[in-house]
Amino acid sequence: MIKRLSPVAQEPLYELITQVLRRNILEGHLPQGLVLLEGPISKLMKTSRVPVQAALRQLNEESLIQRFRGRGYLVGSDGDALVPLRRNIEEFALDIPEPLDTALKVRGTWMHVYDRVESEVAACQIFGEFRVVETELAEYLGVSRTVARDVLSRLNERGLVRKGAQSPWLAGPLTARIIREKFQLRGIVEPAALKLAADHIDPYQIELIRKDIASGETLHWETLEGALMQHCLEKAPNGVLVEIIRNNRLLLSSVDRALNALGLPPDTVALTQYRTLFDLIGSRQTDAAAEYLKEHLRIIALKSLARLKIVALVPETETTPPYLSRVG
Amino acid sequence: MATRSENEAAPASPALVQRRVLRVLGTDVTLLEQVRERAVADLQFDIEFESLDFLTCQHEAAVNPESYDVYEQCFHNLDIVWYWGALQPIDTQRITEWEKIGDLAKMGGISKYMWQGYGDAPVRKLYVQPDGMLGQQQMRHISMLPTAHNVDSFGYDSRIFGKVGPEGSSWSWLLDPRAKGRIALVDEPAIGIFDAALAAEATGDLTFEDIGNMTIDEIDQLMSLLDTLRQQGFFCGSWVNGDDAEALLHNERVSVQSMWAPCYGNLGPMEDVFVEAAPREGYRAWHGGASLARHLAGPKLDMAYEYLNWWLTGPPGALMARQGYYMTVPERVREYLTPQEWGYWYEGAPAGCDLNGPAGNVVVRKGARRSGGSYRERISRIALWNTVMDEYNYAARAWKRFIRSVEEGAV
Repeated sequence: MIKRLSPVAQEPLYELITQVLRRNILEGHLPQGLVLLEGPISKLMKTSRVPVQAALRQLNEESLIQRFRGRGYLVGSDGDALVPLRRNIEEFALDIPEPLDTALKVRGTWMHVYDRVESEVAACQIFGEFRVVETELAEYLGVSRTVARDVLSRLNERGLVRKGAQSPWLAGPLTARIIREKFQLRGIVEPAALKLAADHIDPYQIELIRKDIASGETLHWETLEGALMQHCLEKAPNGVLVEIIRNNRLLLSSVDRALNALGLPPDTVALTQYRTLFDLIGSRQTDAAAEYLKEHLRIIALKSLARLKIVALVPETETTPPYLSRVG
Repeated sequence: MATRSENEAAPASPALVQRRVLRVLGTDVTLLEQVRERAVADLQFDIEFESLDFLTCQHEAAVNPESYDVYEQCFHNLDIVWYWGALQPIDTQRITEWEKIGDLAKMGGISKYMWQGYGDAPVRKLYVQPDGMLGQQQMRHISMLPTAHNVDSFGYDSRIFGKVGPEGSSWSWLLDPRAKGRIALVDEPAIGIFDAALAAEATGDLTFEDIGNMTIDEIDQLMSLLDTLRQQGFFCGSWVNGDDAEALLHNERVSVQSMWAPCYGNLGPMEDVFVEAAPREGYRAWHGGASLARHLAGPKLDMAYEYLNWWLTGPPGALMARQGYYMTVPERVREYLTPQEWGYWYEGAPAGCDLNGPAGNVVVRKGARRSGGSYRERISRIALWNTVMDEYNYAARAWKRFIRSVEEGAV
């Protein structure tokens, strides 16, 4: 039995956050000129920054908030007339209606639990095949079996676990073959999405990324991968394609995160390649950018295969949580 | 970092000036005390050797790159250490004898018509490509300076397998029922697994599409075959270094086992009956070399280059030859070997007299002929190389479980 959540709880998280902020701006709980920053809002809402970013973009489009010369947004749309008011959002008594509050809390627990389990389940797969024990998972997380089952269903949808013959949940093993196949798929769908997205990419966003890269500050590969996804590939007017790309990347990025946690150094050649890629996208050389992305993915695939070999040096006992038990 | 520790150890007065030290991490393949003594005598600095087994060594090299200056290992583990970012490229323009290094390492075979062999042929890992990968497209910078190398097989008891001679042997003997209970394998997933795979293919039990890069299914089948044989009591043990392999021989526990060249000079009670195979399916080859730690710079880097260049001067190659290993600069080595030594080790001629090993003990009796013949003959028959396959992570874990069962059974 999967617990039914109220309709509000099923709305995307960014939509819930947008509703809360919109309501409080319109009601005057958040004063004109107040600087809205992602960090404090995500802390207040107990979410990650990603849905907060989306909510702020949405409110900006609605002209309820505006960009300014500093970091973040200002409440209001009076242009230069606004004086930035730098105070923590937690100082203001926000009006959050009960259904929204509950929805945020439900989403909060479940999303918090989910992210953690997702990264653990992805990371274990480099060590072999594992059984995920539902009761152990619930106990480990201190949540009900229903929540644990919801978490597993979602992992299943995203291709991180599967149902075995005797019905336990199984994860892994992550093999070179899977990595090769996932990168092959990336090489097919991502350049295609990039071409489709060409007319929908916001040049301003690409400009910001190029500026960040040019500033010489070493950007994390995950930031750049994320930027490529968020500002380019996701703009493709084909939801099914975007969904395929997102799911296909999941396991790869979780594994990369796990490998980086083991102390693998950053790949500076790959960072240079992102720079070229964003330069091509920024200058609207779409076909060249798509071809370049394909070649970039081919090289990253080879490196990922080499990185997987390194994992053989890492003993598995150090990292496996108790709800995962080894098969065989 | 190295320079900082040098500064910290700066002498208070000139009288206390210490000789500079170069730290070399490697295995007992090349880290012989005789090699170290010769290098210290030839070079203007001290040398410290840290010799570990293959797996511990590569783990150290990858995760602890500050702990050594030069890394001496085999090409097949570069995939791990290189991509961990522990090493820096070697500029071939700083290698004096680079042009004299033979084609086996640089081209992949002793001639361009020669089959390179399955798996990690050194040329496939030699050159540093512009994208940071290792590949066989020739470049100025390399990952590892190719030095000692050899072709390996297994040793067998001729009382069991008959007097057909080493050239009549087959890898299938390594899993032969006639040796049941007296078989040992080398415990290194990039080496032992291939001895077992060559054997399983030779017996006809399994076939591999690319034995140098097995699929998950092929690995599963191989491990399942090995486990079945283990349960039937085929294996008496495993070993990780030459001393362990020799101990199995000296205790007369094995009739056939994976073997490394130096062990044939120290067979003990099995001397007259234990034979080095020259299997009809071909050899499993390996290629060693020396790499530079990433942290090296300035004078320390210069020292490391001096040491690398020293490897190609001849004397170390002569020491290697006396334990059965070849060098990439054979003509330089020849100057430091007696004609009898050169004839036996490189030309496959019968030994003109008793020959000594690196430590000075007799390792070859007068009249003996090297199994497989000359350098050219042996090197022309490479079936595959020691390899870290794409599915290495999977294979190594399966292999480890298998070896653990073998050892538990042996106890």
